[in-house]
Amino acid sequence: MTNYSNPEVLVETDWVKQNLGNLGIKFVEIDVDTKAYEAGHIPGAVGFNWQTQLQDQVRRDIISKEAFEKLLGDVGISPNDTVVLYGDNNNWFSAYGFWLFKIYGHKDVRLMNGGRGKWLNENDKPLTTEKPRIVPTRYEAAAPDPGLRVMLPQVLQAKNCNLVDVRSNDEFTGKVIAPPGMSETAQRGGHIPGAKSVPWNTAVGPDGTFKSAEELRAIYVNQKGVDPKKDSIAYCRIGERASHTWFVLKYLLGLPNVKSYDGSWTEYGSIVGAPIEK
Amino acid sequence: MNHKTRVYENVFEMLPSEENPTPLVRLNKLNQCAEFPLYAKLEWMNPFGSVKDRAAWELLRDIEERGELANGRGIVEPTSGNTGISMAAMARARGYRLLAIVPNKVPLEKKVLLKIVGADLEVISDELCPAPGLGDGSINLAKTHAKASAHKYVMPNQYENSKNVEAHIKTTGPEIWKQTEGRITHLFASLGTCGTVTGISRFLRGKNPNIKVIAVQPSEGHDVPGLRNVSQLGVSKLFDSSLVDDILEIDFHLAYTRALELCQNEGLLAGPSSGLIVEGALEIVRRDKRGYGVMIFPDNIFKYTSNMMKHIPGLSSGLQP
Repeated sequence: MTNYSNPEVLVETDWVKQNLGNLGIKFVEIDVDTKAYEAGHIPGAVGFNWQTQLQDQVRRDIISKEAFEKLLGDVGISPNDTVVLYGDNNNWFSAYGFWLFKIYGHKDVRLMNGGRGKWLNENDKPLTTEKPRIVPTRYEAAAPDPGLRVMLPQVLQAKNCNLVDVRSNDEFTGKVIAPPGMSETAQRGGHIPGAKSVPWNTAVGPDGTFKSAEELRAIYVNQKGVDPKKDSIAYCRIGERASHTWFVLKYLLGLPNVKSYDGSWTEYGSIVGAPIEK
Repeated sequence: MNHKTRVYENVFEMLPSEENPTPLVRLNKLNQCAEFPLYAKLEWMNPFGSVKDRAAWELLRDIEERGELANGRGIVEPTSGNTGISMAAMARARGYRLLAIVPNKVPLEKKVLLKIVGADLEVISDELCPAPGLGDGSINLAKTHAKASAHKYVMPNQYENSKNVEAHIKTTGPEIWKQTEGRITHLFASLGTCGTVTGISRFLRGKNPNIKVIAVQPSEGHDVPGLRNVSQLGVSKLFDSSLVDDILEIDFHLAYTRALELCQNEGLLAGPSSGLIVEGALEIVRRDKRGYGVMIFPDNIFKYTSNMMKHIPGLSSGLQP
Protein backbone atom coordinates (compact mmCIF):
# COMPACT_ATOMS: atom_id res chain seq x y z
CA MET A 1 0.00 0.00 0.00
CA THR A 2 3.00 2.31 0.46
CA ASN A 3 3.09 3.05 -3.25
CA TYR A 4 -0.10 5.13 -2.95
CA SER A 5 0.47 8.86 -2.79
CA ASN A 6 -1.37 9.08 0.53
CA PRO A 7 -1.30 5.59 2.03
CA GLU A 8 -2.40 6.89 5.44
CA VAL A 9 -6.03 7.30 4.24
CA LEU A 10 -6.52 3.57 3.82
CA VAL A 11 -6.60 0.92 6.54
CA GLU A 12 -6.92 -2.83 6.18
CA THR A 13 -9.53 -5.00 7.89
CA ASP A 14 -6.83 -6.60 10.09
CA TRP A 15 -5.77 -3.14 11.29
CA VAL A 16 -9.38 -2.37 12.18
CA LYS A 17 -9.69 -5.59 14.15
CA GLN A 18 -6.52 -4.79 16.08
CA ASN A 19 -7.83 -1.31 16.87
CA LEU A 20 -11.34 -2.21 18.04
CA GLY A 21 -11.96 -0.48 21.36
CA ASN A 22 -9.16 2.06 20.84
CA LEU A 23 -10.67 5.23 22.28
CA GLY A 24 -9.13 7.64 19.78
CA ILE A 25 -10.45 5.71 16.80
CA LYS A 26 -14.08 5.96 15.76
CA PHE A 27 -15.67 3.62 13.25
CA VAL A 28 -18.56 4.78 11.09
CA GLU A 29 -20.60 2.58 8.71
CA ILE A 30 -22.33 4.25 5.76
CA ASP A 31 -24.19 1.93 3.40
CA VAL A 32 -26.22 2.13 0.23
CA ASP A 33 -28.55 -0.42 1.83
CA THR A 34 -29.71 1.46 4.87
CA LYS A 35 -30.86 -1.77 6.55
CA ALA A 36 -27.38 -3.27 6.64
CA TYR A 37 -26.08 -1.48 9.75
CA GLU A 38 -29.02 -2.61 11.87
CA ALA A 39 -28.55 -6.20 10.73
CA GLY A 40 -24.95 -6.21 11.96
CA HIS A 41 -21.95 -3.89 12.19
CA ILE A 42 -18.38 -3.74 13.44
CA PRO A 43 -18.45 -3.65 17.27
CA GLY A 44 -18.39 -0.05 18.42
CA ALA A 45 -19.24 1.40 15.00
CA VAL A 46 -21.96 3.98 14.59
CA GLY A 47 -24.08 4.07 11.44
CA PHE A 48 -24.98 7.07 9.31
CA ASN A 49 -27.93 6.99 6.94
CA TRP A 50 -26.89 8.70 3.71
CA GLN A 51 -30.45 9.57 2.81
CA THR A 52 -31.51 11.22 6.05
CA GLN A 53 -28.28 12.24 7.79
CA LEU A 54 -25.82 13.25 5.09
CA GLN A 55 -28.19 15.18 2.85
CA ASP A 56 -30.02 18.41 3.59
CA GLN A 57 -33.65 17.34 3.98
CA VAL A 58 -35.12 20.47 2.38
CA ARG A 59 -32.97 21.70 -0.50
CA ARG A 60 -30.73 19.46 -2.61
CA ASP A 61 -27.33 19.86 -0.97
CA ILE A 62 -24.89 18.33 1.45
CA ILE A 63 -25.72 18.93 5.10
CA SER A 64 -24.75 22.32 6.52
CA LYS A 65 -21.72 22.87 8.74
CA GLU A 66 -24.03 23.10 11.76
CA ALA A 67 -25.77 19.84 10.87
CA PHE A 68 -22.41 18.12 10.34
CA GLU A 69 -21.21 19.35 13.75
CA LYS A 70 -24.37 18.08 15.42
CA LEU A 71 -24.19 14.73 13.60
CA LEU A 72 -20.61 14.09 14.72
CA GLY A 73 -21.08 15.54 18.20
CA ASP A 74 -24.15 13.36 18.81
CA VAL A 75 -22.19 10.18 18.06
CA GLY A 76 -19.22 11.21 20.16
CA ILE A 77 -16.68 12.08 17.48
CA SER A 78 -14.09 14.77 18.26
CA PRO A 79 -12.07 16.73 15.69
CA ASN A 80 -8.89 14.99 16.84
CA ASP A 81 -10.28 11.46 16.50
CA THR A 82 -9.16 9.12 13.79
CA VAL A 83 -12.36 8.24 11.91
CA VAL A 84 -12.48 5.03 9.89
CA LEU A 85 -15.34 4.81 7.42
CA TYR A 86 -16.61 1.64 5.80
CA GLY A 87 -19.71 0.52 3.96
CA ASP A 88 -21.31 -1.77 1.44
CA ASN A 89 -20.93 -1.70 -2.34
CA ASN A 90 -17.17 -1.31 -2.06
CA ASN A 91 -17.43 1.80 0.08
CA TRP A 92 -19.62 3.87 -2.26
CA PHE A 93 -21.30 5.96 0.39
CA SER A 94 -18.48 5.71 2.88
CA ALA A 95 -16.32 7.36 0.19
CA TYR A 96 -19.03 10.01 -0.06
CA GLY A 97 -18.81 10.32 3.72
CA PHE A 98 -15.01 10.63 3.45
CA TRP A 99 -15.49 13.47 0.98
CA LEU A 100 -17.95 15.17 3.34
CA PHE A 101 -15.58 14.79 6.32
CA LYS A 102 -12.82 16.39 4.23
CA ILE A 103 -15.10 19.20 3.07
CA TYR A 104 -15.67 20.10 6.73
CA GLY A 105 -11.98 19.81 7.52
CA HIS A 106 -11.74 16.61 9.57
CA LYS A 107 -8.02 15.91 9.70
CA ASP A 108 -7.69 12.16 10.13
CA VAL A 109 -10.33 10.25 8.21
CA ARG A 110 -9.67 6.92 6.53
CA LEU A 111 -11.45 4.24 4.53
CA MET A 112 -11.40 0.55 5.42
CA ASN A 113 -10.09 -1.15 2.30
CA GLY A 114 -12.63 -3.57 0.84
CA GLY A 115 -15.50 -2.17 2.90
CA ARG A 116 -18.08 -4.17 4.79
CA GLY A 117 -18.11 -6.94 2.17
CA LYS A 118 -14.51 -7.84 2.89
CA TRP A 119 -15.02 -7.69 6.67
CA LEU A 120 -18.16 -9.81 6.40
CA ASN A 121 -16.44 -12.53 4.41
CA GLU A 122 -13.44 -12.88 6.72
CA ASN A 123 -14.17 -15.49 9.37
CA ASP A 124 -12.18 -13.85 12.15
CA LYS A 125 -13.99 -10.50 11.92
CA PRO A 126 -16.91 -10.05 14.34
CA LEU A 127 -20.22 -8.33 13.70
CA THR A 128 -22.75 -7.28 16.28
CA THR A 129 -26.24 -5.86 16.49
CA GLU A 130 -25.41 -4.09 19.78
CA LYS A 131 -25.60 -0.32 19.71
CA PRO A 132 -22.32 1.32 20.74
CA ARG A 133 -22.07 3.28 23.99
CA ILE A 134 -21.80 6.93 23.06
CA VAL A 135 -20.57 9.95 25.01
CA PRO A 136 -21.66 12.98 22.99
CA THR A 137 -19.05 15.63 22.23
CA ARG A 138 -19.05 19.19 20.97
CA TYR A 139 -17.68 19.05 17.46
CA GLU A 140 -16.45 22.16 15.68
CA ALA A 141 -16.02 21.84 11.94
CA ALA A 142 -14.08 24.05 9.56
CA ALA A 143 -15.77 26.14 6.89
CA PRO A 144 -16.51 24.00 3.83
CA ASP A 145 -13.48 23.54 1.60
CA PRO A 146 -14.46 24.78 -1.88
CA GLY A 147 -11.47 22.97 -3.37
CA LEU A 148 -13.10 19.54 -3.19
CA ARG A 149 -16.46 20.19 -4.75
CA VAL A 150 -17.54 21.55 -8.10
CA MET A 151 -20.92 23.08 -8.90
CA LEU A 152 -22.83 23.16 -12.20
CA PRO A 153 -21.64 26.61 -13.46
CA GLN A 154 -18.01 25.52 -13.12
CA VAL A 155 -18.78 22.24 -14.88
CA LEU A 156 -20.38 24.07 -17.78
CA GLN A 157 -17.32 26.30 -18.06
CA ALA A 158 -14.77 23.57 -17.47
CA LYS A 159 -12.15 23.48 -20.16
CA ASN A 160 -8.83 21.76 -20.34
CA CYS A 161 -9.58 19.48 -17.41
CA ASN A 162 -10.16 15.74 -17.00
CA LEU A 163 -13.86 14.98 -16.78
CA VAL A 164 -14.21 11.43 -15.49
CA ASP A 165 -17.61 9.78 -15.84
CA VAL A 166 -17.60 6.86 -13.38
CA ARG A 167 -21.04 5.42 -14.20
CA SER A 168 -21.67 2.16 -16.02
CA ASN A 169 -21.20 1.99 -19.77
CA ASP A 170 -24.96 1.90 -20.35
CA GLU A 171 -25.40 5.14 -18.41
CA PHE A 172 -22.48 6.77 -20.22
CA THR A 173 -23.87 5.93 -23.64
CA GLY A 174 -27.39 6.97 -22.68
CA LYS A 175 -28.84 3.49 -23.11
CA VAL A 176 -30.22 3.91 -19.59
CA ILE A 177 -30.57 7.09 -17.55
CA ALA A 178 -30.00 5.30 -14.24
CA PRO A 179 -29.28 1.72 -13.17
CA PRO A 180 -32.49 -0.35 -13.01
CA GLY A 181 -34.48 0.22 -9.86
CA MET A 182 -32.92 3.56 -8.95
CA SER A 183 -35.41 6.24 -8.08
CA GLU A 184 -33.14 9.27 -8.69
CA THR A 185 -33.05 9.92 -12.39
CA ALA A 186 -32.70 12.68 -15.02
CA GLN A 187 -34.59 13.95 -18.04
CA ARG A 188 -32.00 12.86 -20.60
CA GLY A 189 -29.39 10.12 -20.97
CA GLY A 190 -25.80 10.44 -22.13
CA HIS A 191 -22.70 12.14 -20.78
CA ILE A 192 -21.02 15.51 -20.50
CA PRO A 193 -19.18 16.25 -23.76
CA GLY A 194 -15.51 15.35 -23.52
CA ALA A 195 -15.91 13.10 -20.48
CA LYS A 196 -13.87 9.91 -20.29
CA SER A 197 -15.72 6.77 -19.26
CA VAL A 198 -13.97 4.99 -16.39
CA PRO A 199 -16.58 3.05 -14.39
CA TRP A 200 -15.88 3.31 -10.66
CA ASN A 201 -15.38 -0.43 -10.24
CA THR A 202 -12.36 -0.33 -12.53
CA ALA A 203 -10.48 0.77 -9.42
CA VAL A 204 -11.13 -2.34 -7.33
CA GLY A 205 -10.09 -5.98 -7.45
CA PRO A 206 -12.18 -9.13 -6.95
CA ASP A 207 -12.10 -8.81 -3.15
CA GLY A 208 -13.28 -5.21 -3.30
CA THR A 209 -9.95 -3.69 -2.28
CA PHE A 210 -8.31 -0.95 -4.31
CA LYS A 211 -5.89 -1.96 -7.02
CA SER A 212 -2.22 -1.03 -6.59
CA ALA A 213 -1.04 2.46 -7.49
CA GLU A 214 0.75 1.03 -10.51
CA GLU A 215 -2.40 -0.67 -11.77
CA LEU A 216 -4.49 2.41 -11.11
CA ARG A 217 -2.01 4.65 -12.90
CA ALA A 218 -1.95 2.29 -15.88
CA ILE A 219 -5.77 2.37 -16.08
CA TYR A 220 -6.51 6.03 -15.48
CA VAL A 221 -3.45 7.70 -16.98
CA ASN A 222 -2.14 5.33 -19.66
CA GLN A 223 -5.30 3.62 -20.88
CA LYS A 224 -8.01 6.21 -20.28
CA GLY A 225 -5.94 9.32 -20.86
CA VAL A 226 -6.47 11.13 -17.58
CA ASP A 227 -3.75 13.80 -17.72
CA PRO A 228 -2.07 14.01 -14.31
CA LYS A 229 -1.00 17.60 -14.98
CA LYS A 230 -4.56 18.82 -15.38
CA ASP A 231 -7.35 19.44 -12.88
CA SER A 232 -9.90 16.62 -12.65
CA ILE A 233 -13.63 16.37 -12.03
CA ALA A 234 -15.35 13.08 -11.23
CA TYR A 235 -19.10 12.66 -11.60
CA CYS A 236 -21.70 9.90 -11.53
CA ARG A 237 -25.46 9.99 -10.94
CA ILE A 238 -25.91 11.39 -7.43
CA GLY A 239 -22.34 11.77 -6.25
CA GLU A 240 -21.52 8.62 -4.32
CA ARG A 241 -19.67 6.64 -6.98
CA ALA A 242 -17.95 9.89 -8.00
CA SER A 243 -16.61 10.17 -4.44
CA HIS A 244 -15.09 6.71 -4.80
CA THR A 245 -13.16 7.74 -7.93
CA TRP A 246 -12.39 11.18 -6.42
CA PHE A 247 -10.74 9.29 -3.56
CA VAL A 248 -8.71 7.18 -5.99
CA LEU A 249 -7.52 10.11 -8.10
CA LYS A 250 -6.80 12.49 -5.23
CA TYR A 251 -5.43 10.25 -2.50
CA LEU A 252 -4.23 7.04 -4.08
CA LEU A 253 -2.79 8.55 -7.29
CA GLY A 254 -2.08 11.99 -5.85
CA LEU A 255 -3.43 13.97 -8.79
CA PRO A 256 -3.59 17.71 -8.17
CA ASN A 257 -6.88 19.52 -7.72
CA VAL A 258 -9.45 16.73 -8.00
CA LYS A 259 -13.05 17.68 -7.35
CA SER A 260 -16.28 15.76 -7.12
CA TYR A 261 -19.34 17.04 -8.96
CA ASP A 262 -22.00 15.75 -6.60
CA GLY A 263 -24.84 17.27 -8.62
CA SER A 264 -23.76 14.70 -11.19
CA TRP A 265 -26.04 13.33 -13.90
CA THR A 266 -29.30 13.84 -12.03
CA GLU A 267 -28.56 17.56 -12.19
CA TYR A 268 -26.70 17.84 -15.48
CA GLY A 269 -29.05 15.55 -17.41
CA SER A 270 -32.02 17.71 -16.46
CA ILE A 271 -30.64 21.14 -17.42
CA VAL A 272 -32.45 22.73 -20.36
CA GLY A 273 -30.01 23.40 -23.17
CA ALA A 274 -26.95 21.77 -21.58
CA PRO A 275 -24.79 20.04 -24.19
CA ILE A 276 -24.92 16.24 -24.08
CA GLU A 277 -23.00 13.54 -25.93
CA LYS A 278 -24.26 10.00 -26.37
CA MET B 1 -44.65 -44.81 1.50
CA ASN B 2 -45.85 -46.38 -1.71
CA HIS B 3 -44.85 -44.76 -4.98
CA LYS B 4 -47.14 -47.05 -6.96
CA THR B 5 -50.31 -46.06 -5.16
CA ARG B 6 -48.89 -42.65 -4.29
CA VAL B 7 -50.11 -42.82 -0.74
CA TYR B 8 -47.77 -41.12 1.70
CA GLU B 9 -47.61 -40.63 5.45
CA ASN B 10 -46.18 -37.13 5.11
CA VAL B 11 -45.24 -34.71 2.38
CA PHE B 12 -41.51 -35.37 2.68
CA GLU B 13 -42.01 -38.93 1.44
CA MET B 14 -43.01 -37.43 -1.89
CA LEU B 15 -39.59 -35.86 -2.43
CA PRO B 16 -37.93 -37.12 -5.61
CA SER B 17 -35.57 -40.06 -5.91
CA GLU B 18 -34.58 -42.69 -8.43
CA GLU B 19 -37.71 -44.62 -7.39
CA ASN B 20 -39.90 -41.53 -7.51
CA PRO B 21 -38.55 -39.34 -10.29
CA THR B 22 -40.10 -36.19 -11.66
CA PRO B 23 -41.56 -36.91 -15.14
CA LEU B 24 -39.75 -36.60 -18.45
CA VAL B 25 -42.06 -35.35 -21.20
CA ARG B 26 -41.12 -35.11 -24.85
CA LEU B 27 -41.60 -31.90 -26.83
CA ASN B 28 -43.70 -32.65 -29.90
CA LYS B 29 -44.45 -29.28 -31.48
CA LEU B 30 -41.54 -26.98 -30.76
CA ASN B 31 -39.02 -29.64 -31.70
CA GLN B 32 -39.90 -32.00 -34.51
CA CYS B 33 -36.43 -33.37 -35.16
CA ALA B 34 -36.87 -37.16 -34.96
CA GLU B 35 -33.11 -37.70 -34.71
CA PHE B 36 -32.82 -35.41 -31.71
CA PRO B 37 -35.77 -35.74 -29.31
CA LEU B 38 -35.93 -33.29 -26.44
CA TYR B 39 -37.40 -34.35 -23.11
CA ALA B 40 -38.40 -31.86 -20.44
CA LYS B 41 -37.89 -32.87 -16.83
CA LEU B 42 -40.83 -31.29 -15.07
CA GLU B 43 -39.39 -30.14 -11.80
CA TRP B 44 -42.56 -28.35 -10.79
CA MET B 45 -43.99 -31.80 -10.09
CA ASN B 46 -41.91 -31.78 -6.91
CA PRO B 47 -44.07 -31.42 -3.78
CA PHE B 48 -43.06 -27.82 -3.07
CA GLY B 49 -43.20 -26.77 -6.68
CA SER B 50 -39.72 -26.46 -8.13
CA VAL B 51 -36.30 -28.00 -8.73
CA LYS B 52 -35.23 -26.25 -5.52
CA ASP B 53 -37.01 -28.90 -3.43
CA ARG B 54 -33.95 -31.05 -3.97
CA ALA B 55 -31.32 -28.62 -2.70
CA ALA B 56 -33.58 -27.20 0.00
CA TRP B 57 -34.20 -30.64 1.46
CA GLU B 58 -30.53 -31.60 1.40
CA LEU B 59 -29.48 -28.31 2.98
CA LEU B 60 -32.20 -28.48 5.62
CA ARG B 61 -31.44 -32.08 6.57
CA ASP B 62 -27.76 -31.24 6.82
CA ILE B 63 -28.20 -28.37 9.29
CA GLU B 64 -30.79 -30.39 11.19
CA GLU B 65 -28.45 -33.35 11.55
CA ARG B 66 -25.60 -31.13 12.65
CA GLY B 67 -27.81 -29.81 15.45
CA GLU B 68 -27.73 -26.27 14.11
CA LEU B 69 -31.44 -25.73 14.66
CA ALA B 70 -31.55 -26.39 18.41
CA ASN B 71 -32.88 -23.89 20.98
CA GLY B 72 -35.30 -22.17 18.68
CA ARG B 73 -32.67 -21.11 16.17
CA GLY B 74 -34.06 -20.29 12.74
CA ILE B 75 -32.74 -20.17 9.21
CA VAL B 76 -31.71 -17.16 7.14
CA GLU B 77 -31.21 -17.59 3.40
CA PRO B 78 -30.84 -15.31 0.37
CA THR B 79 -33.24 -16.48 -2.28
CA SER B 80 -34.84 -15.36 -5.50
CA GLY B 81 -37.92 -17.26 -4.40
CA ASN B 82 -37.95 -20.95 -5.18
CA THR B 83 -35.38 -22.08 -2.60
CA GLY B 84 -37.08 -19.90 -0.05
CA ILE B 85 -40.53 -21.28 -0.83
CA SER B 86 -39.34 -24.89 -0.65
CA MET B 87 -37.17 -24.38 2.40
CA ALA B 88 -39.67 -22.25 4.32
CA ALA B 89 -42.50 -24.73 3.72
CA MET B 90 -40.27 -27.63 4.79
CA ALA B 91 -38.91 -25.71 7.77
CA ARG B 92 -42.33 -24.67 9.05
CA ALA B 93 -43.60 -28.22 8.70
CA ARG B 94 -40.67 -29.33 10.86
CA GLY B 95 -41.07 -26.53 13.38
CA TYR B 96 -38.47 -23.96 12.36
CA ARG B 97 -38.72 -20.39 11.10
CA LEU B 98 -37.03 -19.02 8.00
CA LEU B 99 -36.06 -15.46 7.19
CA ALA B 100 -35.83 -15.06 3.41
CA ILE B 101 -33.68 -12.21 2.06
CA VAL B 102 -35.21 -11.45 -1.29
CA PRO B 103 -34.05 -9.13 -4.08
CA ASN B 104 -36.70 -6.63 -4.99
CA LYS B 105 -36.84 -7.81 -8.61
CA VAL B 106 -38.33 -11.14 -7.54
CA PRO B 107 -41.89 -11.41 -8.92
CA LEU B 108 -44.67 -10.36 -6.61
CA GLU B 109 -46.21 -13.84 -6.75
CA LYS B 110 -43.08 -15.37 -5.25
CA LYS B 111 -42.89 -12.80 -2.48
CA VAL B 112 -46.51 -13.43 -1.55
CA LEU B 113 -45.99 -17.19 -1.74
CA LEU B 114 -43.05 -16.91 0.64
CA LYS B 115 -45.32 -15.23 3.14
CA ILE B 116 -48.09 -17.76 2.55
CA VAL B 117 -45.78 -20.67 3.35
CA GLY B 118 -44.69 -18.91 6.51
CA ALA B 119 -41.36 -17.26 5.69
CA ASP B 120 -40.40 -13.96 7.25
CA LEU B 121 -39.45 -11.64 4.43
CA GLU B 122 -36.78 -8.98 4.06
CA VAL B 123 -36.86 -7.40 0.61
CA ILE B 124 -33.86 -5.41 -0.51
CA SER B 125 -32.89 -3.44 -3.55
CA ASP B 126 -30.48 -5.64 -5.43
CA GLU B 127 -29.85 -3.62 -8.55
CA LEU B 128 -26.87 -1.66 -7.39
CA CYS B 129 -24.19 -2.29 -10.03
CA PRO B 130 -22.86 -5.50 -8.45
CA ALA B 131 -19.16 -5.03 -7.91
CA PRO B 132 -16.65 -7.59 -9.11
CA GLY B 133 -16.28 -10.36 -6.59
CA LEU B 134 -18.83 -8.99 -4.20
CA GLY B 135 -21.87 -11.04 -3.37
CA ASP B 136 -25.29 -9.75 -4.20
CA GLY B 137 -26.76 -7.50 -1.58
CA SER B 138 -29.14 -10.26 -0.53
CA ILE B 139 -26.31 -12.72 0.06
CA ASN B 140 -24.34 -10.22 2.12
CA LEU B 141 -27.34 -9.22 4.18
CA ALA B 142 -28.10 -12.88 4.95
CA LYS B 143 -24.46 -13.41 5.90
CA THR B 144 -24.66 -10.36 8.14
CA HIS B 145 -27.65 -11.77 10.02
CA ALA B 146 -25.97 -15.16 10.35
CA LYS B 147 -22.79 -13.58 11.71
CA ALA B 148 -24.19 -10.80 13.89
CA SER B 149 -27.13 -12.84 15.20
CA ALA B 150 -25.65 -16.33 15.20
CA HIS B 151 -27.82 -17.30 18.18
CA LYS B 152 -30.92 -16.61 16.08
CA TYR B 153 -29.96 -17.76 12.61
CA VAL B 154 -28.03 -20.37 10.70
CA MET B 155 -27.43 -19.76 6.99
CA PRO B 156 -27.37 -22.87 4.78
CA ASN B 157 -26.02 -20.71 1.91
CA GLN B 158 -27.15 -22.41 -1.28
CA TYR B 159 -24.51 -20.44 -3.22
CA GLU B 160 -21.55 -22.04 -1.46
CA ASN B 161 -22.83 -25.20 0.20
CA SER B 162 -21.73 -28.41 -1.53
CA LYS B 163 -24.93 -30.10 -0.28
CA ASN B 164 -26.69 -28.18 -3.06
CA VAL B 165 -24.56 -30.09 -5.59
CA GLU B 166 -24.89 -33.38 -3.70
CA ALA B 167 -28.68 -33.20 -3.92
CA HIS B 168 -28.41 -33.53 -7.69
CA ILE B 169 -25.70 -36.19 -7.56
CA LYS B 170 -28.03 -38.23 -5.32
CA THR B 171 -31.32 -37.64 -7.08
CA THR B 172 -31.59 -35.74 -10.38
CA GLY B 173 -28.59 -37.37 -12.05
CA PRO B 174 -29.58 -40.99 -11.25
CA GLU B 175 -33.21 -40.26 -12.17
CA ILE B 176 -32.24 -39.02 -15.63
CA TRP B 177 -29.85 -41.91 -16.23
CA LYS B 178 -32.52 -44.45 -15.30
CA GLN B 179 -35.37 -42.69 -17.11
CA THR B 180 -33.42 -42.40 -20.36
CA GLU B 181 -31.91 -45.88 -19.95
CA GLY B 182 -28.52 -44.29 -20.47
CA ARG B 183 -29.44 -42.83 -23.86
CA ILE B 184 -29.02 -39.18 -22.88
CA THR B 185 -26.45 -37.33 -25.02
CA HIS B 186 -27.18 -33.72 -24.09
CA LEU B 187 -28.21 -32.09 -20.82
CA PHE B 188 -29.66 -28.58 -20.89
CA ALA B 189 -29.87 -26.54 -17.70
CA SER B 190 -29.89 -22.92 -16.64
CA LEU B 191 -27.42 -21.26 -14.31
CA GLY B 192 -28.48 -19.89 -10.95
CA THR B 193 -26.63 -21.18 -7.91
CA CYS B 194 -25.19 -23.71 -10.41
CA GLY B 195 -25.89 -26.59 -8.00
CA THR B 196 -28.17 -28.26 -10.56
CA VAL B 197 -25.79 -28.18 -13.51
CA THR B 198 -22.72 -29.07 -11.44
CA GLY B 199 -24.40 -31.98 -9.62
CA ILE B 200 -26.15 -33.55 -12.60
CA SER B 201 -23.11 -33.11 -14.83
CA ARG B 202 -20.83 -34.71 -12.26
CA PHE B 203 -23.11 -37.75 -12.01
CA LEU B 204 -23.84 -38.18 -15.71
CA ARG B 205 -20.24 -37.62 -16.78
CA GLY B 206 -19.30 -40.39 -14.37
CA LYS B 207 -21.63 -42.69 -16.32
CA ASN B 208 -20.74 -41.44 -19.76
CA PRO B 209 -17.99 -38.86 -20.20
CA ASN B 210 -19.26 -38.01 -23.70
CA ILE B 211 -22.52 -36.48 -22.51
CA LYS B 212 -22.61 -32.83 -23.50
CA VAL B 213 -23.68 -30.39 -20.82
CA ILE B 214 -25.11 -27.16 -22.13
CA ALA B 215 -25.73 -24.26 -19.76
CA VAL B 216 -28.12 -21.60 -20.89
CA GLN B 217 -27.92 -18.08 -19.56
CA PRO B 218 -29.97 -14.95 -20.13
CA SER B 219 -28.43 -11.91 -21.81
CA GLU B 220 -26.92 -9.26 -19.56
CA GLY B 221 -29.34 -6.91 -17.84
CA HIS B 222 -31.93 -9.68 -17.90
CA ASP B 223 -35.20 -9.97 -16.08
CA VAL B 224 -35.47 -13.72 -15.57
CA PRO B 225 -35.78 -14.40 -11.83
CA GLY B 226 -33.46 -17.02 -10.38
CA LEU B 227 -30.99 -17.07 -13.24
CA ARG B 228 -27.58 -15.53 -13.66
CA ASN B 229 -25.59 -14.18 -16.51
CA VAL B 230 -21.98 -15.38 -16.48
CA SER B 231 -20.93 -11.86 -15.46
CA GLN B 232 -22.94 -12.44 -12.26
CA LEU B 233 -21.60 -15.92 -11.57
CA GLY B 234 -18.90 -14.72 -9.20
CA VAL B 235 -21.42 -15.06 -6.41
CA SER B 236 -21.79 -18.82 -6.85
CA LYS B 237 -18.94 -20.93 -5.61
CA LEU B 238 -20.58 -24.02 -7.10
CA PHE B 239 -19.93 -23.26 -10.77
CA ASP B 240 -17.35 -25.60 -12.29
CA SER B 241 -16.55 -24.70 -15.89
CA SER B 242 -14.89 -28.10 -16.47
CA LEU B 243 -18.32 -29.72 -16.15
CA VAL B 244 -19.96 -27.56 -18.81
CA ASP B 245 -19.30 -27.88 -22.57
CA ASP B 246 -21.11 -24.79 -23.81
CA ILE B 247 -22.61 -21.73 -22.24
CA LEU B 248 -25.23 -20.24 -24.53
CA GLU B 249 -26.30 -16.65 -24.03
CA ILE B 250 -29.92 -16.16 -25.06
CA ASP B 251 -31.79 -12.88 -25.42
CA PHE B 252 -33.80 -12.93 -22.21
CA HIS B 253 -37.01 -11.80 -23.90
CA LEU B 254 -37.10 -15.21 -25.59
CA ALA B 255 -37.47 -16.81 -22.16
CA TYR B 256 -40.93 -15.29 -22.03
CA THR B 257 -42.00 -15.94 -25.62
CA ARG B 258 -40.80 -19.55 -25.50
CA ALA B 259 -42.56 -20.07 -22.15
CA LEU B 260 -45.75 -18.86 -23.79
CA GLU B 261 -45.24 -21.29 -26.68
CA LEU B 262 -44.69 -24.15 -24.25
CA CYS B 263 -47.95 -23.28 -22.52
CA GLN B 264 -49.96 -22.81 -25.69
CA ASN B 265 -48.51 -25.49 -27.98
CA GLU B 266 -47.16 -28.25 -25.79
CA GLY B 267 -49.54 -28.04 -22.86
CA LEU B 268 -46.53 -27.64 -20.61
CA LEU B 269 -47.19 -24.82 -18.17
CA ALA B 270 -43.51 -23.96 -17.87
CA GLY B 271 -41.96 -20.80 -16.48
CA PRO B 272 -39.58 -18.39 -18.22
CA SER B 273 -36.36 -20.16 -17.26
CA SER B 274 -37.72 -23.27 -19.02
CA GLY B 275 -38.44 -21.08 -22.04
CA LEU B 276 -34.84 -19.95 -22.07
CA ILE B 277 -33.63 -23.55 -21.89
CA VAL B 278 -35.86 -24.60 -24.80
CA GLU B 279 -34.41 -21.83 -26.95
CA GLY B 280 -30.87 -22.98 -26.14
CA ALA B 281 -31.75 -26.63 -26.73
CA LEU B 282 -33.26 -25.87 -30.15
CA GLU B 283 -30.06 -24.07 -31.08
CA ILE B 284 -28.06 -27.21 -30.25
CA VAL B 285 -30.52 -29.47 -32.10
CA ARG B 286 -29.82 -27.39 -35.22
CA ARG B 287 -26.08 -27.55 -34.57
CA ASP B 288 -25.59 -31.20 -33.58
CA LYS B 289 -28.47 -32.71 -35.61
CA ARG B 290 -28.56 -36.00 -33.66
CA GLY B 291 -28.92 -36.72 -30.00
CA TYR B 292 -31.17 -37.36 -27.04
CA GLY B 293 -31.67 -34.27 -24.96
CA VAL B 294 -32.94 -33.74 -21.44
CA MET B 295 -33.92 -30.25 -20.35
CA ILE B 296 -34.35 -29.31 -16.70
CA PHE B 297 -37.56 -27.27 -16.44
CA PRO B 298 -37.13 -25.61 -13.04
CA ASP B 299 -40.66 -24.45 -12.29
CA ASN B 300 -44.06 -23.65 -13.77
CA ILE B 301 -45.66 -20.47 -15.03
CA PHE B 302 -47.96 -19.75 -12.08
CA LYS B 303 -45.42 -17.62 -10.21
CA TYR B 304 -44.71 -15.42 -13.21
CA THR B 305 -47.98 -13.94 -14.37
CA SER B 306 -46.82 -10.41 -13.50
CA ASN B 307 -43.51 -10.88 -15.36
CA MET B 308 -45.33 -12.38 -18.32
CA MET B 309 -47.63 -9.37 -18.48
CA LYS B 310 -44.56 -7.14 -18.51
CA HIS B 311 -42.84 -8.96 -21.35
CA ILE B 312 -45.62 -10.37 -23.52
CA PRO B 313 -47.58 -7.64 -25.29
CA GLY B 314 -51.28 -8.26 -25.18
CA LEU B 315 -51.46 -10.28 -21.97
CA SER B 316 -52.47 -7.27 -19.92
CA SER B 317 -55.24 -6.16 -22.24
CA GLY B 318 -58.85 -7.35 -22.09
CA LEU B 319 -58.68 -8.19 -18.41
CA GLN B 320 -61.38 -5.73 -17.39
CA PRO B 321 -65.08 -5.78 -18.33
